[in-house]
Amino acid sequence: MDTQVNGNTKVDIKGLAEKWKGKRGNLIMILHEIQNHYGYVPREVSLQLSEVLDVPLARIYEVITFYNFFKLEPPGKHTISVCMGTACYLKGGAKLLDEIKNMFAVEEGQTTKDGLFHLQVVRCLGCCGLAPVMMIDGKIFGKVKPDELMNILSPYVKGEV
Amino acid sequence: MTMGYKKIVLLKDTGSTGRTKEFYNLFLEQCRLENLQDDVQIVRVADIGMYDKGIVVRIIPGDITYAGVTEAHIQKIIQQTLKNNKPVKELLFTRASKQMRVVLKSCGEIDPENIKDYIACDGYQALKTMLAKSSSEDVINELKTSGLRGRGGGGFPTWMKWKFARQIEADQKYIICNADEGDPGAYMDRSVLEGDPHSVVEGMIIAGYAVGATKGFVYVRAEYELAIERVEKTIEQAREYGLLGEHILGSDFSFDLEIRLGAGAFVCGEETALIASIEGKRGYPSPRPPYPSVKGLWGKPTVINNVETLATVPVILRKGGAWFASIGSENAKGTKVFALTGKVKNSGLIEVPMGITLREIVFDIGGGMLNGKKIKAVQTGGPSGGVIPEHLLDTPVDYENLQKLGSIMGSGGMIVMDEDDCMVDIAKFYLKFCVDESCGKCAPCRIGGFQMLGYLNKISEGKAGEDDIELLERICNASKKASLCGLGQTSPNPVLSTLKYFREEYLEHIRDRKCRARKCVDLLTYHIGQEKCKRCSICMRNCPVNAISGDKQQGFLIDVNKCVKCGKCFDVCKFDAIIRE
Amino acid sequence: MKKLTKETLDACRSESQRKRGNWIKVGMSTCGIAAGAGDVFAILQNEAQKRNLDIRIEKCGCAGMCYAEPLVEVYVEGMPQVVYGDVDKETALAIIDKHISGKRLLNDHIYNVKVDRS
Repeated sequence: MDTQVNGNTKVDIKGLAEKWKGKRGNLIMILHEIQNHYGYVPREVSLQLSEVLDVPLARIYEVITFYNFFKLEPPGKHTISVCMGTACYLKGGAKLLDEIKNMFAVEEGQTTKDGLFHLQVVRCLGCCGLAPVMMIDGKIFGKVKPDELMNILSPYVKGEV
Repeated sequence: MTMGYKKIVLLKDTGSTGRTKEFYNLFLEQCRLENLQDDVQIVRVADIGMYDKGIVVRIIPGDITYAGVTEAHIQKIIQQTLKNNKPVKELLFTRASKQMRVVLKSCGEIDPENIKDYIACDGYQALKTMLAKSSSEDVINELKTSGLRGRGGGGFPTWMKWKFARQIEADQKYIICNADEGDPGAYMDRSVLEGDPHSVVEGMIIAGYAVGATKGFVYVRAEYELAIERVEKTIEQAREYGLLGEHILGSDFSFDLEIRLGAGAFVCGEETALIASIEGKRGYPSPRPPYPSVKGLWGKPTVINNVETLATVPVILRKGGAWFASIGSENAKGTKVFALTGKVKNSGLIEVPMGITLREIVFDIGGGMLNGKKIKAVQTGGPSGGVIPEHLLDTPVDYENLQKLGSIMGSGGMIVMDEDDCMVDIAKFYLKFCVDESCGKCAPCRIGGFQMLGYLNKISEGKAGEDDIELLERICNASKKASLCGLGQTSPNPVLSTLKYFREEYLEHIRDRKCRARKCVDLLTYHIGQEKCKRCSICMRNCPVNAISGDKQQGFLIDVNKCVKCGKCFDVCKFDAIIRE
Repeated sequence: MKKLTKETLDACRSESQRKRGNWIKVGMSTCGIAAGAGDVFAILQNEAQKRNLDIRIEKCGCAGMCYAEPLVEVYVEGMPQVVYGDVDKETALAIIDKHISGKRLLNDHIYNVKVDRS
C-alpha cells in the first residue's frame, strides 16, 4: 500500500488502535488524532480504521458527521476562524466576517480557490474580553478592526508565515 | 521608620472629565515646591478600582483613599497626610471590593503547571484531611451544610446528586467533569482549567471518594487547546505525586482520571448527551429519568458536575460548609464566577457573592458602560437565558430571582447591551445558535426552532404582521414544554424574554418598519445629507456595488435600488454625512 | 518524585512555601497569550538574564482582568506588589528599567496595587 495520503505521511492506524485498545468509547479520541495529523479525516483512513477496529464504516461516519469539529474535506493551508460568540457578535464580529468574505471571495465553511485560506465561523474562543476575536491556525488576534485585516492577513498571503 | 518603602501617591480621574494628567502635573508641582520629590513618588494609574468618584487619590503605605479630590485639596493632602501621616477626614473613602474570590483565588496567583505552587496554597489539604478523618457520608453532609448548588446552569444541589449516586450499589461508578463550555460569551471554566487545574482534579477525587467511584473523566471542548494541555500535565503530575492512581496519599482509596475531548457540539453540554459522547457515540440526549446518578455512563451511576462546582469543593471541605453558607444570600450560598462582557468598560472574569445586584456588577465592578452609552439590558445564561432590562438591574442575583425574570443563572455568561443593540436581532442571534446546534432528535426543538427563526426573520425584514408575534409565542411555549432536553426546553427563553420586556421594539419593527438600534439591515435606508457632505467622493470610491454616483461639482447620491446596505459608506465618511435610518 | 503520603504532604507544602524573594508573574492563559503575553514573557526573561537580575520570572493563569491583558505582576522587596496591564514590549522593558532596577513605579499601566494590611 502507498505510504502517503494527500501529501502527508500516513498515520499508523494499527498503532493508534493499539494505543486506545481496551478503552471504551475511544472512537472520538482516535478521530481527533487522525484529524490532528491530516487536518481532516480522509475517507480511505476511515475505511482502514473500520477494518482495524472492526466497526462498520457507517458507524464511523455517523460520528464524524454529527460533530462540527471533524472535517471530511482537506482544509486550506491556513484556517481563519472568526469568533461569533455573543461578545464578538455585539462588538462587530459579523463585520470582520463580511470583510474577509469580500477580500477573498469566499463564503464561510469554504476554502479559497487557491487553497490558501479556509474560512470558518466558530462559536466562542473564550477570549470575550478581547472581542472581536479571530484566529488564524491557532494564533488569536484580539480587538480586531476591519481595516486592520489586510495587515494581519498579508504575511499569510505573501507566504511569510 | 517602620514602613518598608517611601510614600507613593496613586491617582486617577475616575469621572468623565479625564483630567488625570493635568491633576498629576499639579500635584507633582506642589510636591516639588514642598521639596518632597525625593520622599514621595506620584504615579498615574490606569485603574484604581473605583468608578465615577471624581479624582481618586490613594496613598500607600497606610492605604488611605480619597475620592472627589479637587485642586484645592492638594495642599491639605500634602500638609496633613504626606507630611504628618494624618488623614484628611472629609475626603476619606472606604475602598471595598465587591468581588470575593473563592474559586478564582489562586487563578492568576499560582503557576498552573507546577503542582508545588498548588500544594503551597493548601492544595490537596482537603483531600488529606478527608482521607484521614471523614466518611463519605461526612463529606456529603458538609456539602449539604454549604448549600452548594451546581454552577453549570441547572443549580441542582450538589450534595443530592452525590447522595443519589452513593446510595446505588454498583461494581463501577463514574465522576465526570463537564468542561464542555459551549455558551457563547462564557469562559469561566476555561479560565479555571488554565489557571488552577489542580483544584478541579482535587474536587473530582473528593467526589469519587464520596460516591464510591474509582474512575473519572474530564470532558473538555476540543477548541480549548491550552486548557487541555494544562489538564493533561496536571493529571500526570498528580499521578507522579501519588494523588491519583492506586492508594492515594498512602490510603486505601484509589481513583484515576482520563481526558475526553468534545468535538464541537453544543448539545453535549447536556449531561445525557455528554455521556453518549464519552461513550464514543453521537451526542444525542436521552429522556430523564433515569438520571445519570442512577444510570449514567455505560449504565453505571455517574455524577456529572461542572468545572466551577468541582473547584469549589476542596475550599468547602477546607474551610467548612458553614463558612461557605455564610456567604451569599438566603436562597443561594457562596460565590459565583461570571464572565462579564459586551458593552461594559472592564470586560473580564469576576467572582461575586450571590445576592449582589446586576447594577453593582456592571457599574461598581465593570466600571460602567463603554463609550458613555446608556445601558439597555444584561443577558445572562447564554442561549438558554434571557435579557434583564435596565429597570430590573437592582434585582439580587440568585437562581430563583433570575428565573422569575425569565432568564436563568446559567453557567455565568453575563453580556451587557446598550442602545445600539436591537432586541429582535439579539433574539435572532441566540435562536440561530440553537437551531444550528439542535441535534435533530426531537421534533419540537428541530422544527419548532426553525419555525421560530422564520418568524423572527420576517419581523426583522419588516414582512411580519402583528399576529405573527402571537404565533411566535405559541411555538416558543410548545418547544419549552415538549422538547426532550434542556436545549430545546430553554432555546425559546431569549425570544420570550425580549418579547416580555421589549415588545414595543418588536412592534416598531412590524408596524413602523423601524429598527431603533439600526441593526436590522432590511429596515434601513442610506442617503447622503447634502449639507454635511464635503464632496470628497470617498463613499463613491468605497461602494462595493457602485450604488453611489455623482461628481465633486454636483455632489453625490445613493441609488436605493442598487444599495445593498452594507454600511461601507457610513463607516468611511469622515464628516457624518451619510444618514442611516 | 516519591509518591506523597498523608504525612509527607505537609512537608512538601512548607518546602514549596519557602521560596521567597523577588518575582514577576505573567498571565499566560489563552486571552493573555492572544494579547501578546508570550512575547512579554520572553523579553522579561531575556532582560533579567542579560542583566543578571535576582528575580524569578514565572507564568500564572488568568487574573480576570481580560480588558487589560497582557497582565504582569511584580514584587520587589521594599516596594508594593503591583499589577501592570496593557503591557507591550516597551512597557516590559520599562518594568525592568524603572521598576526593578530604578525602584520607581510606571505611569499609566498600573491596574492594581496590593498592600499588605498587616
